[in-house]
Amino acid sequence: MNEFEWRRQLRDLQQPQAPRRDLWPAIDAALDPVDQATMLPPARAPRRRLLAGMAGVAVAASLLLGVGAGWHAWFAPGTPAESAHATRHASWKPDDPRLAGAAIELDAARLELQLAIEQAPDSTALHRLLRHTERQQAQLRQLAGHAS
Amino acid sequence: MPPVSRAAHDGDDVRAAAAGDRRAFQRLYALHVGRVYGALHRLAGYDHARAEDLTQDAFIRAWQKLSGFRHESSFGTWLYRLAVNVALMDIRARGADPVRVVDDEHLPDSGETPFCAAERHELEQAIGKLPPRARAVLVLHDIEGWRHEDIGDELGMAVGTSKAQLHRARHLLRKALGENS
Repeated sequence: MNEFEWRRQLRDLQQPQAPRRDLWPAIDAALDPVDQATMLPPARAPRRRLLAGMAGVAVAASLLLGVGAGWHAWFAPGTPAESAHATRHASWKPDDPRLAGAAIELDAARLELQLAIEQAPDSTALHRLLRHTERQQAQLRQLAGHAS
Repeated sequence: MPPVSRAAHDGDDVRAAAAGDRRAFQRLYALHVGRVYGALHRLAGYDHARAEDLTQDAFIRAWQKLSGFRHESSFGTWLYRLAVNVALMDIRARGADPVRVVDDEHLPDSGETPFCAAERHELEQAIGKLPPRARAVLVLHDIEGWRHEDIGDELGMAVGTSKAQLHRARHLLRKALGENS
């Protein structure tokens, strides 16, 4: 093969290629805490990114759990059994124990919010919080995928 | 009804996304992910998982920087350069394969052509096994069509070093393909 053919064959490799999976859900979830006016530090190490993500998820889960529980208590008092049941039964639990706590909290927050929405189905704030929680869960699954 | 150009669509979506419209940004993602992922996949040595991470980072960074996009080039070109820069920063951050100038005495004869019956897959595999910096220079120059001046700017190396890395990469590639065939 001469030099020309060699170059042509290399140049033929320049083709668009679809990723094997849809990357948008993970990107969408990561845009949440992103402020467009603020630059992220460049090229953070994966380990640091994982820990930062875990901390963010844990804080967000705690906040959501608190808001969801408060809302639920306000609109539907007297259902502690349901609440405990929701807290005990996480639908998905990662192997990494550092992520498992956040997964349980997020799942509990989601269930609390769903119960609250049953009481106040027209509440846009509750629906927004639920969507936010589900995005956080997707982000956590992404983090768990990186960790495994 | 006259056809609306892709650039015009991009322009509307870029403005909307810069104002915080995620659906517009999702449309931009859908339109451009193939080109971005393709380039990053090659730069990552055909490692799917790493290319996916880099692609995600590139789009997140693009979202952050959209407000600074001045429409001096097409959005696709701007995004592509940004994505390549993310990949090159990753290579630099890993500190792998420090740049070395190849001694002229050890450069291969340009008449060597062991690259005979290489299939595409075999070629990609061989590129994937190149040292990261040498691979980056080869991918950018021989596949993506960049000039040495631009490669040097992005990778923080002199033009001569970029040329030497390219020579080295081609030599290693030919050697790998020659040994395999």
